[in-house]
Amino acid sequence: MSDNQFYESLDETKPGHTFLDSNELVLNMGPQHPSTHGVLRVILKLDGEKVNGIECVIGYLHRGIEKIAENRTWAGFGPFVDRLDYTAAVSNSLGYCLAVEKLLGVEVPKRAQYLRVILTELARLASHQVWLGTHVLDIGAVTPLFYAFRDRETILSVFEKYCGARLTTHAFRIGGCRWDAYPGFAEEVLKLCDDLPPMIDEYRNLITGNRIWLQRTKNVGYISPEDCMSYSITGPVLRGSGIGWDLRKAQPYSSYEDFEFDIPTGTAGDTFDRYVVRVEEMRQSIRIIRQAVDGLPEGPIIARVPKVIKPPVGEVYVSTEAPKGELGYFLVSDGGPQPYRVRVRPPSFINLQALEKMAKGSLVADVVAIIGTLDIVLGEVDR
Amino acid sequence: MIKSFLGYLHSGVTPGEAGNLIWITIYVLLVFAGVSLGVMFMNWFERKIMAHMQVRMGPMRVGPHGLLQPIADALKLIIKEDLMPSNADKLVFWFAPVCVVMTAFCAFIVVPFGRTHTITDMNIGVVFMLGVSSLGVLGVIMAGWASNSHYSLMGSLRSGAQMVSYEVAMSMAVVSAVMMTSMVTGTGTLSMIGIVQAQMQQHIWFVFSFFPVGLIALAVFAIAMVAETNRAPFDLPEAESELVAGFMTEYSGFRWSLFFLAEYTSMMAVSSIATTLWLGGWLRPFPNLLGGRNWDLAFSLVPGLTFMALALLCFFTFTRMPRIRAMRGDTAGLGGLACLLGVLGVVMLLPGVRDRVQDIFWFTSKVAFFMYFYVWGRTTFPRYRFDQLMTIGWKVLLPISIGVVILTALIGVRQDLFALVRR
Amino acid sequence: MSFVAVLKKIFLIDLVEGLFVTFRHQHPDNLVTEQYPQERPVISDRFRGQPHLKKDANGKTLCTACGACALACPEKLIKVSSLRDPETKKKVLTEFDFDLGRCMFCGLCEEACSSNALELSPAYELALYSREGLELDRQRMEDGTPRKAYER
Repeated sequence: MSDNQFYESLDETKPGHTFLDSNELVLNMGPQHPSTHGVLRVILKLDGEKVNGIECVIGYLHRGIEKIAENRTWAGFGPFVDRLDYTAAVSNSLGYCLAVEKLLGVEVPKRAQYLRVILTELARLASHQVWLGTHVLDIGAVTPLFYAFRDRETILSVFEKYCGARLTTHAFRIGGCRWDAYPGFAEEVLKLCDDLPPMIDEYRNLITGNRIWLQRTKNVGYISPEDCMSYSITGPVLRGSGIGWDLRKAQPYSSYEDFEFDIPTGTAGDTFDRYVVRVEEMRQSIRIIRQAVDGLPEGPIIARVPKVIKPPVGEVYVSTEAPKGELGYFLVSDGGPQPYRVRVRPPSFINLQALEKMAKGSLVADVVAIIGTLDIVLGEVDR
Repeated sequence: MIKSFLGYLHSGVTPGEAGNLIWITIYVLLVFAGVSLGVMFMNWFERKIMAHMQVRMGPMRVGPHGLLQPIADALKLIIKEDLMPSNADKLVFWFAPVCVVMTAFCAFIVVPFGRTHTITDMNIGVVFMLGVSSLGVLGVIMAGWASNSHYSLMGSLRSGAQMVSYEVAMSMAVVSAVMMTSMVTGTGTLSMIGIVQAQMQQHIWFVFSFFPVGLIALAVFAIAMVAETNRAPFDLPEAESELVAGFMTEYSGFRWSLFFLAEYTSMMAVSSIATTLWLGGWLRPFPNLLGGRNWDLAFSLVPGLTFMALALLCFFTFTRMPRIRAMRGDTAGLGGLACLLGVLGVVMLLPGVRDRVQDIFWFTSKVAFFMYFYVWGRTTFPRYRFDQLMTIGWKVLLPISIGVVILTALIGVRQDLFALVRR
Repeated sequence: MSFVAVLKKIFLIDLVEGLFVTFRHQHPDNLVTEQYPQERPVISDRFRGQPHLKKDANGKTLCTACGACALACPEKLIKVSSLRDPETKKKVLTEFDFDLGRCMFCGLCEEACSSNALELSPAYELALYSREGLELDRQRMEDGTPRKAYER
């Protein structure tokens, strides 16, 4: 319902009045708020401290990326895709390139596929570091944020050395990778893989066993597996509820079938399990990176792709397992040099639907924890 | 008049007991200045220590290593625009920070920095301090009410409820410590100086007496005092991520700095209670185990040596400052600070000074120890949700503290029975 | 719960462990702050900073005015003007306008350049006090941005 309709429903004199309880307090966690991970507006209907209803108002970061795509070339749209989930820009790039390559029918060389896997898993690590730092900060512990960002710095410096930018990487091109591994790439990435697990163990000492953390996150924000399926939630939220669905294993892309890794799954679909799932995913990512770096084959890094990309008429939907969930690209081509339609299936947007289900009946302090555990990035939600 | 002025110096009592008005005023001003200086130092100390624990450096620009940062903060807050929300209750809005600051400072009337270094020694010292701290709750609730905003009201009511709940547990722990004062001598006392003297007579700091009862009492008091002063992990009312700043949201500029001042002052006040009751107040470590003239001499050198060590640290940092033109002022300042601390250290080693400064030094360092724990805890722990907070206050701390009181009483009765039997 | 677990709960062992983790990080070797502008970050070779037109050893521009960069740029912010030299029949660059304010440093122009003239240099200190300075002409593209020396 629109803003006007919503406010009318609060007005007792109007016919659309829906609240019978005049004791309800309407609290606006406005777009400018330290805990909403971006410009998300959450309207809470509170009964004392208990949350009766939640309404999310989004769109504050809408930049019209999908519309912009209609006026850029297929290759020229590549930099824009990074700006969707800006904490892990590389994974967005991977999804888009895979989709266009499927439209074109281009086969990406093996070396490029392995390089893509390494960088995407590094991006997954980086995204989970951001999530960890901000989620724990919302719950009150101020230090793990800095530890997480310190670890993220090592990953970002690898990105900078590889493609020249830390955040908006534009790392991949249609057909493969633009750059080959720089001298010292393998050593630096392997050193990162060695340095990171002790840091993850530190998080365990500082957070996981901490009784305050357990009290704040156990049985908070529960969502059942059936609800997850009906809301089409994907990613760590789904895996925290017990369903072991990961696109890297279910529909492997870009040589993921060559690597051996586990899919961490939780049992109780609460905040604590989602936390454990994501931390364990970080360890599995390190495992994948090690295997990819050790097994990096020789060969070309980009396939032969025409200078002006004009895919045949058709449409394609390709989805990848982004750190936040299933990131999908639905591309429609009309044979020209510019896309006819690019539709992004953002995992954060779809996962945000579950906020009301998870937070109804809990306390105000838990709403912040639940928004954090959903791991939303407003760049994706609003595009 | 000069005679009365100088005559007091050789008496062995506090100015309040001596009834000497001039010295009372001097002591009041000294304590006020000292506490304010302490708050400014705490501002810098907290930011630096929090930063170092978070693998970063904290303030480095304003003055060498950020030492002038508190001054810059104070200046900024004073020159800020003074806002008052429309429809706010003006008188109450004005009075709330004043109330909180007044009660926080009033608690320092009876804090014993030494045998004679106290403004006055009431014979109900501890009760006075606890009572005055409770008045601070009134200021907090007034602040939330007068701000005329949902957020502030919720925050202040929560804060008030939290402070009141934890005061009960605090008071129980204090009762147990007071009971320990009557163990050996048979006459208990509520006066702060009396409690420290009782520890002196019993040759033990109360934290170690009847191990582990004293320790549990101190632990309960420590947790309760963190909750009383709205610090992490019990700082939900101030939680930025949830209610902006709780009851302090609508206060800006100088009014906010008064709340800040009051918070740190009450932190120091409750730390002083904890130090006096359990850690032996102004007594040096091991007064009886390591007794005798030589040990006394050795321990009396510690204040001077501490300041010399600080001076050496400053000097070491001074040598490592970057040698660029823009940092000339900072480097000079740091060198000057090193010299100042060195001079203070040397002065404190002089025989006349070192005996007088001993008490104050040991008391302040014990309070500083508690303040470090405050900062350490804030950096490490996440926040408790409000219902969990209240559960801990009523269902965990209160039973434990009542248990400690009962245990102390039983031990005391046993001692008395034994004493009776021996006679 | 086992006896050890009960003891751990009473003595707040998990909280104490957390305290030790933060205490350990205080060591000065662990501090990662870079005191900019006294310490500047080390920039990699591939860093995508301000675009820069390269010249050869004689000072003649390498740009052949082919216009590939203008075509490749997603934001269409490059304008290349050229004259045809009557003797060699080749294009000669006259003006090269680049709108740095809208550039997103994607590097597509650098990729498209056929003569290796346009590169994204490691200059990243591009802040100005007014917007006029953001529209780079050919001269500024060739000069690049000198690195600022900060007093403090």
